[in-house]
Amino acid sequence: MPTNLQGAEIEAVGQRRFVWPAFAMPGLVWLMLLFVVPFYGVIAVSMGSVDPIFLKPQPEWNPLQWDSTAFGEVFGDIFGGTLGVIFVRTIIYVASASLLCVLVGYPVAYFVARRVDKHKTAWLLALLAPFWINYLMRMLAWVNLLSPDGLVNRSLGWLGFAPQDWLGGRPLTVILGLVYGYLPFFILPLYAALDRIDTRVLEAARDLGARPSEAFRRVTLPLSKQGILAGLVLIMLPMFGDYYTPNLLSGSPRTRLIGNQIDQFVNQTSSQGGQGAALTIVLMAVVAVLMVSYLANVQRITEEARR
Amino acid sequence: MAFHPRENWNRQTGRRRLTRREFLVGTGALGISLPAISAILAACGDGGGGGDGAEVRIGTPSDPVEQAIFDDNPAIASGLAPEAGPLRVYNWADYINPDIIPAAAEALGVDIELTTFFNEEEAIQKLVSGEVRFDVWFPVASTVAKAVAGRLIQPLNHGYVPNLTNVWPQLADPFYDMGSRYTVPYTVYQTGIAWRTDMVDSADVEGIDNPWDVFWNPKYKGITGLYDDFRETMGMSLFRNGASDGSRASADEIDAAAAGLGELVDLMDIRYTIDGAYAGLPEGRFGLHMAWSGDIVAAPLYYPEDGDPSVTRYLWPARAPGSAKAHIANDTMAVLRGASNPVLAHQFINFMLDEGNALENFGWNGYQPPQNGLDVSLLVQDEWVPDYLDSAVVLPSDFEDARGVVPVQLSAEQEKLLLDAWGKVQAGG
Repeated sequence: MPTNLQGAEIEAVGQRRFVWPAFAMPGLVWLMLLFVVPFYGVIAVSMGSVDPIFLKPQPEWNPLQWDSTAFGEVFGDIFGGTLGVIFVRTIIYVASASLLCVLVGYPVAYFVARRVDKHKTAWLLALLAPFWINYLMRMLAWVNLLSPDGLVNRSLGWLGFAPQDWLGGRPLTVILGLVYGYLPFFILPLYAALDRIDTRVLEAARDLGARPSEAFRRVTLPLSKQGILAGLVLIMLPMFGDYYTPNLLSGSPRTRLIGNQIDQFVNQTSSQGGQGAALTIVLMAVVAVLMVSYLANVQRITEEARR
Repeated sequence: MAFHPRENWNRQTGRRRLTRREFLVGTGALGISLPAISAILAACGDGGGGGDGAEVRIGTPSDPVEQAIFDDNPAIASGLAPEAGPLRVYNWADYINPDIIPAAAEALGVDIELTTFFNEEEAIQKLVSGEVRFDVWFPVASTVAKAVAGRLIQPLNHGYVPNLTNVWPQLADPFYDMGSRYTVPYTVYQTGIAWRTDMVDSADVEGIDNPWDVFWNPKYKGITGLYDDFRETMGMSLFRNGASDGSRASADEIDAAAAGLGELVDLMDIRYTIDGAYAGLPEGRFGLHMAWSGDIVAAPLYYPEDGDPSVTRYLWPARAPGSAKAHIANDTMAVLRGASNPVLAHQFINFMLDEGNALENFGWNGYQPPQNGLDVSLLVQDEWVPDYLDSAVVLPSDFEDARGVVPVQLSAEQEKLLLDAWGKVQAGG
C-alpha cells in the first residue's frame, strides 16, 4: 500500500479492497447451498444405512457414525468385479469421443473465428443452434435416423452399400452419439479462445519468416491451448456421467457405462442407493483428477503468458 | 424395488392421442375400405410413515396374509360427508386416461389434481419424507406389505367402495392383503413374449416346450430384446431353467440364470430396453421382445402409417404346453395415511372400479382392469383388443394357475443376490 496516503484515502482504498471480492459472494453462497450441502448429502447416503421396512438408503449425517460398507463393495467390484470393466470402457469411450470432438471441432472453431469476415453473426448463430434443442430430442432424432429402415440405411442403400445395424449395441454408435451431443459444447469455448488471439501476433510471425503452417503450429495452437482444455473439461465431465446416450442408441451390455450403473443403483433398486452414492463419489474423484490437471495447466499457461 | 411397466417410462414415447378402441375402430373401417381403394388404385394404374421396525407381513399365494390394522392408523368412520377437495392423486406417468380425471371431477363435484412419478423408489421416498401430501396412490401389489408396515397407507372403509364387488374374487381378497383391508386392484398384467410374424417364425415361439428358449435362438440374433429390469429378466432366465422366481431362488440358481443371460451378448447381440415391446417392435428395431401384456396391447398404436400391426403376436408362456412359468401381477389403489380428503379418496377409488370407467381407462393405457363383467370375447368383439392379440387378455384363472407366478416383495438379502448377478449380466462382453 502506498505510504504517502492520508487517513481518509487509506480508508477508501481499504474499502475498495472488499468491493470486488463481494461480487464473488453470490457465487460462493450458491456453491455452498447448491453444491457443498448436496454433496455432503451424497456422502451421508453412501455412508448411511438401509431402512428396514422400505429398504431405502438412510443418510448418516454424523461422520462419527459413518459406515463404509457401500464403499467397500464398490471398490471390491471395481478392482475385482464387473465395475472395473465398465470403468475402463467408460474411460475409453470418453477419450475417443473427446478426441473426435477435437478433430472435428477445432477446424470449425478456427474457421469461424479466424477465417470468416462477412456474416460472422450468421455463423455464430449456426454454432449456437444446437443449444436451442434439448439433448433428449437430439438423441431421439438419431434413434429414428439410425433405425433399420431409417434415413441412414436408406442412404447407404442408394449408394450401393448394405444396411447396418446401427442400434444393435455398437460402441461406434454410442461414441458418435456422444460426439454429436457434446460437440457444440467444445466448439464454443474454443471459438472464444481463437477469436481472442491478436492478429498482430500472427502478422509478426509471418514477418519473421514463418510459413502459415508454422505460424499455426507455433503461435495459434499454443495460444488456443487454454480454449482446447476448457472445451475438453466442458465435454468430458458430463460424458463421464452420461447414461442416456448408451440407453437410447444401444441398450446392449457391451456399451454399458458408469452412468448406467449409477442409474441402476439409484433408480432401479430399493436397497443399493448407498452403493450408487459411493460410485458417484468415486466417479467424482476420477473426474476431479482431470479438473486438477486442467487447473494446473491453466495456471502454468497464465504464468508463462505473464513472463 | 418395483418392477412395473411404467418404471422409468419414456415421457417422449409414452403419449398416445387415440384410445385403443378408437384406433381399432378406425383401422377396422380402413380395413373395410382399403380393398375398395386398392381396387380403384389398381384399376388406375401402376400404421410414512417411515421404518420403525414394524413387522412387514409378506404374503404369498400359498401363505396369504391379513395386513394388520394399527391403533394409530384406523380406517375413517362410515357415513362421513365428502370433503371440498381438491383431491390429489399420485399415479405412475401415463397410467391413467387423462379424460378420466375430468370425468371423475365432474362426478365427485371437486377439482382433481394428478401428479405422476416415473419410478416407485422416487414415489416412496417423497411419500415417506412427507415432502408431498396426496390422497390416492397406486402402489404395485408387492409394495403393499411395506407400505402397511411403514404406515404409508390407511385401511379402507368398504362402505365407501361398493364397486369392489365388480372385481375378480381372486383380487378382491388377494394373498398380499386378504379382505382388501388396505388396497383394491387397479390393473392386471402378465410378462410374456411378443414378436412380429414378418420377422420371427411363430412356430419358434409357440411350438417349443419352453417358449423362453426363443430368446436364445441364434436365428433371431440382432433383433431380440429383453426388459432392462432385473426382476423381470432374471426371473425369466430363472423360469427358463425351471427354477423358482427371484424371491425364492437359491444363489446357485441365480448364478445359473445370470450365466444364461450372459451368453446372449454374443449369441444374440441382446439389447435391454424398457420401450422395446410397445415402440421397438412396431418400429422394426426388434422382431422379438419380452412384453408386458398391457404394452403389447398398446403396440398397434405405435406402428408407422405404412406398417401392419396385425403382424404382432403375444404369448404368455404359462399358458403354453409344457411347464414354463411366467410372471403375472397387479397394481393397486390405496388411500394415503394423512390424506386431506380421505372420503373423496374412497369415492375416487370407487369411481375407478366402475366397469365403464375401468374400460375407458383400459382403452387408453392398455392395462386391463380385473372386472368381472369383462371377458376375452367381449374385449375382442367390442374392439378393445385386436383379435390377433387376444392372447394378451388376462384371465381370472391365470391368478390361480400354478405356473403364473406373482412376484412378492424381496428381502434385502435376496435383492442383493439378484442385483449382484444382474450387475454381471449388465457388464456384458
